[in-house]
Amino acid sequence: MDNRIVDFIAGLRAAGVRVSIAESEDAFNATRSLGVVDKIQFQDALRATLVKEVTDRPVFDQLFPLYFGSGGPPLQNLTEGMSPEEKRLLAQAMRALLAQMRQAQQNRDRRRRDSSGGMNMPPGQLDRLMQLLQQLLQGNNPSSQEMDDLAHHSGMDGARDLTQQSRISQQMRRQMGMELLEKLMEQLAAMLAQLGMDQQAIKQLMEGIEANREALADRIAQHVGAALARKQVESFPDRKQEVSDLMHRPFQSLTDRESELLRDEVRRLASQLRSRAALRRKRSKGGTLDVKKVVRTNMRYGGVPLELKFKTRQLKPKLLLVCDVSTSMRSVVEFLLRMIYELQDQVASAHSFAYIGDLEDISDRFAENVPEVAIEIVLTSMPPGHYNTDLGNSLNTLMMRFADKVDHRTTVIFVGDARNNYNDPRLDLMDRVQRRSKRLVWFNPEHPRLWGTGDSDMLVYLPFADVVHNVSNLAELAEAIDKLLTGK
Amino acid sequence: MSDSTEQIKSRLQEQQYIATNEIATVLYLAEQLGKPILCEGPAGVGKTELSKAWAAASGRHLIRLQCYEGLDETKALYEWEYAKQMLYTQLLRDKLRDVIGDVNTLREAADRIAQEEAVFFSERFLLPRPLMQALTCDQPVVLLIDEIDRADVEFEAFLLEVLSDFQVSVPELGTIKAVHHPMVLLTSNNTRALSEALKRRCLYLFVDYPSIEEELQIVRLKVPDLAAQLAHQAVEMVQQLRHLDLKKSPSISETLDWARALVELNSHQLDKETMKSTMSVLLKHETDLIKARRALGLEGTTGGRDKPGIGGVNSDDFSSYGFFRRS
Repeated sequence: MDNRIVDFIAGLRAAGVRVSIAESEDAFNATRSLGVVDKIQFQDALRATLVKEVTDRPVFDQLFPLYFGSGGPPLQNLTEGMSPEEKRLLAQAMRALLAQMRQAQQNRDRRRRDSSGGMNMPPGQLDRLMQLLQQLLQGNNPSSQEMDDLAHHSGMDGARDLTQQSRISQQMRRQMGMELLEKLMEQLAAMLAQLGMDQQAIKQLMEGIEANREALADRIAQHVGAALARKQVESFPDRKQEVSDLMHRPFQSLTDRESELLRDEVRRLASQLRSRAALRRKRSKGGTLDVKKVVRTNMRYGGVPLELKFKTRQLKPKLLLVCDVSTSMRSVVEFLLRMIYELQDQVASAHSFAYIGDLEDISDRFAENVPEVAIEIVLTSMPPGHYNTDLGNSLNTLMMRFADKVDHRTTVIFVGDARNNYNDPRLDLMDRVQRRSKRLVWFNPEHPRLWGTGDSDMLVYLPFADVVHNVSNLAELAEAIDKLLTGK
Repeated sequence: MSDSTEQIKSRLQEQQYIATNEIATVLYLAEQLGKPILCEGPAGVGKTELSKAWAAASGRHLIRLQCYEGLDETKALYEWEYAKQMLYTQLLRDKLRDVIGDVNTLREAADRIAQEEAVFFSERFLLPRPLMQALTCDQPVVLLIDEIDRADVEFEAFLLEVLSDFQVSVPELGTIKAVHHPMVLLTSNNTRALSEALKRRCLYLFVDYPSIEEELQIVRLKVPDLAAQLAHQAVEMVQQLRHLDLKKSPSISETLDWARALVELNSHQLDKETMKSTMSVLLKHETDLIKARRALGLEGTTGGRDKPGIGGVNSDDFSSYGFFRRS
């Protein structure tokens, strides 16, 4: 049992749940003190000691039965409860049915057309189907070897993680012939009625077969799940390496699958940044004397200032994001917005705008939806390609309609490559923005070598920016945000 | 269910707290392993109530530390009562003169006073705050640290230190060890992510909204005056409201408030009038009230024409909830 718990913990780690060694020790102690007899209690104990985040609970619930399940519900032998007469009828019906189907098959082959009444099956499938029916009647649990063989034919070798579970299970069921089983059962019932078995017995038999079918499907799903969980554990170190490599690849070159992997990384990065930002803010000592606090603290000394208090409280930054959402910039903007919204508790407020030809306020989308959904809505509602990027015009809209959002506490962040399609860069407006705001920051995904080439206005905007970061991959983006939050 | 967890459940029930099996298991483990419990969940599901019930059920004293941003060591652990020390110094000034007596040098005077230092930095002048109280209490204690997510990261680090050794060192008095190992329960509303170290230290308990049977049991236990059928209707209504996409779903404390309100108003059935007048007990946001009213078909402000709710039922009597059920 201990080994199984160890495997389970490895499985959890491979699925992304961070379980520390102290926690695994707690899990062992807990099971030792509670015992393993009561399965639900055992599950609760493991869950309380191993899973410390609400979001990891579904993963736990998915993996637990794969390691501690009994492999699935057992199949029942239906022929046990039948009288000899019924058994004889059943055997007769089966033979008759088989003969009927073989005949229909031969007719079809001769006519080379689909017959409307029978079932169209490739050769060999008929035998497999009858075998399945026999198995369900007898209640024979499939052996591990059988399942492995079936899985091999259903594409198990190529799969590496649990996302493939339902697909492979479905394929295995199809291989066994379960899809055609319903029709066969109908025909069997009809045949039995014809031969004279009474209705009640037929109904009971059919229900038994159906129950066994479900049990078999469960067993397949569990077997597949357990095998995939093992594979997930094995491929885990490779996946970790893959993700850390992806952090340094430029955003444009990421495929969909790789972007998906990185999205999970974002949450982990955000939690790292969060604790660092919080600690650094408090540690930095300001130099200004806080007179109010000094007077209050020293009342106990009769007003004599024995204890000096300084203004250590650094206010959380207020952010205003102006994001270029033209095609080349989309992946950067997506990751940036995801990170900012993960880190919402570290910023006082984050107002965001998107622009291509004109500016649009997208903050309320984030207020109403989870970040993933909000980003999709934003990106689909502003289709690229029809408009030319025009930062000058967007700045105009910003200052005309949203100037009140830019105040002396705000850090304005421009995310874009500053390529304006040779439109007017409106440096006067950029100047105004820079003066009104606390700081102006640029995140540019292009390499500095390309700044100023072609229609890039980066070099003319450069003097107005306090800080410029080159954010071509996720690692650089994380670093830039880190510096942002700690107030540099 | 082993005997011990069953026992815990029944003892909690005696204290009027309906606990799920999971809660009983985690409580049992906390007692056995001596680890703190981190209790997370939406507001109002009974996390603080759990600590009160557990303290009463296990015969322990309850000490509560309410966390807020800016909570620090002096407010949480201990403080010296400066004012009292000053006062004593003033009052004992004459006696001090006697003690110093006939010394010639300043150094000797200081030495003499240093000998009496223990008087001024003794437990007499120590103001113990909840954490210290929990450590030094001579009865066994349940320490409730409420809403730890409202305190900041430094406080969590400090708390870890106290929770790992259950002893505190006061420079003037030495190390003070816990008399009885306190049972610690931390609650969090999940407004921010807690530090990893704190989470690793604790057993995790997630208290979610109750199921319909559990909620009915709780309502019947806490508000026995409410008629059985009406209680059933009320609980069903609340369960349905939770399926709506509300800013703040009603939790069990709101259900209990509503049940009590229905008792006070002497309602016999859940009709439109009652719903209209008492809905604000359940839902505390204007947007939520509007949404719920729309879903229930309670709008009727335009010339008295009532718009039918989902499913088109327009009756005054809400006892048949068919219209409200989602498949």
